[in-house]
Amino acid sequence: MNLSLKYKVLMIFMLLVFIGVFLYYYGAKVRQEEADAEALRDYSYIVREYALDAVYKSKENPVEVELYPSAYTEAILERWKAISDRYPEFEYPEAAIEEGDWFKVNRVIKDAEMLKDTVDKMYEDATVEFEGLKGSFTTLLDYIFYQKYEPSNIEDILIDLGFESPREEE
Amino acid sequence: MKKRIIVSTVIVVFALLTIVSYFMFQWLNDNQDIEDVIKQEFRSLGQYVENVYAIEYPDDDRALIFYSWSHPDFSNFGVMELEKTWRGWQFVEAISNRMERKNAWLKGVYAEIGDHAILRGPTWANVDKIEIITDDGREYIPDIGKSEWHMWYLILEDEPFEEATFILYDSDGEVLWEEVLQFDLNLLE
Repeated sequence: MNLSLKYKVLMIFMLLVFIGVFLYYYGAKVRQEEADAEALRDYSYIVREYALDAVYKSKENPVEVELYPSAYTEAILERWKAISDRYPEFEYPEAAIEEGDWFKVNRVIKDAEMLKDTVDKMYEDATVEFEGLKGSFTTLLDYIFYQKYEPSNIEDILIDLGFESPREEE
Repeated sequence: MKKRIIVSTVIVVFALLTIVSYFMFQWLNDNQDIEDVIKQEFRSLGQYVENVYAIEYPDDDRALIFYSWSHPDFSNFGVMELEKTWRGWQFVEAISNRMERKNAWLKGVYAEIGDHAILRGPTWANVDKIEIITDDGREYIPDIGKSEWHMWYLILEDEPFEEATFILYDSDGEVLWEEVLQFDLNLLE
C-alpha cells in the first residue's frame, strides 16, 4: 500500500490531535475526581466534628451534600455560645450558623490565638484552686466538641465560672 | 478479491471481539462482589472506620446498606442506596444521622432514600426483638443488624407514622423496656 507523503503527514497529525484531546480530557477527569474526593473528605470531617445529619445526593461532579444540625450539634453550639457570651472576643459565628455554612463556622473556631487567649482568661477569672498545668488552645476545642476535660482541672474551672453544673455528690 | 477477504476478516474479528467483550462484561458484572463495592463507596465518601449491619435488597436492582461510621464511637448511622446498572453497582444516595446511645435503650430517625421510607437507630446488644405499635394499631417487627453496636431498621411499605410505641424483648421473650418514640417526617428536607 503506497501512501503519499502528504497523506502520511495528515495521518500522523490526526493521530497526534486524537492523543492530545484524549490526554487533555483524561487529565481534566483525574483532576475533577481528586477535587471531588477532597470535597467529600472535607464534608466527612465537618459532619463528624459538628455531629451533623447529612444527605449525600451526589458524590461526583458536582458533589452535592446537604447538611443539617442534629440535637448534638445544638449542644456543641450551646457550649460555644455560652463561652462567647462571657468572653465576646471568643467569636460565635451566628450568621454563618444560620446560613448553614459549616465550613465558615469551622474556620472561626480554628483560630488558635483566640482559643488560647480565652482559656488563659478562664484560668485567671476562676476563683478555685487548681492543680497541674493550665489548658492549651485544644482544651476549649475538646470541651466544646466532645465535652471532654483535658487537662482535668478545666472541669473545676468551667463549674466555677458557671458553664457546667456542679458535680453531684456520690 | 483479496481486498474483500481482508475487509470481511476484519469485520468478523471485530464482531467476535465485540460479542466476547459483551459476555465478559456481563460475567464480571454478575459476579461483582457487592461488599467490595460498598468498601469502595465508603472510601470515596471519606467515611472511614465503618461497620455494616445489614444489606437489604428491596428490588432486584436495588440494595440498601445499613452502617455506622466514624472513630471512636460509630455514632453516625448511615443508610446508602446502590443501584445495579450495566456498569455494575452504582451509588445512588446516602444519608447519615448522628445518634448517640449513651443511656438510651434505643434511638430512631425517619429518612427517605430513593423510593424507600426507612426507620432506623441503635439499640443495645441484649435486645433480641422489637415490636412497634402505631397509634392507629399497625404492628411491625423491625430487623436487628449486629456489628459494633446493634441497629434496628424497618423499610416501610405503607404510610409513615410520627409516633409509635416500641416494646423491647430479650432472648427469653421478657419485656426489657417500653418507650414511645417520635419521628420528624421532615427531618432532612
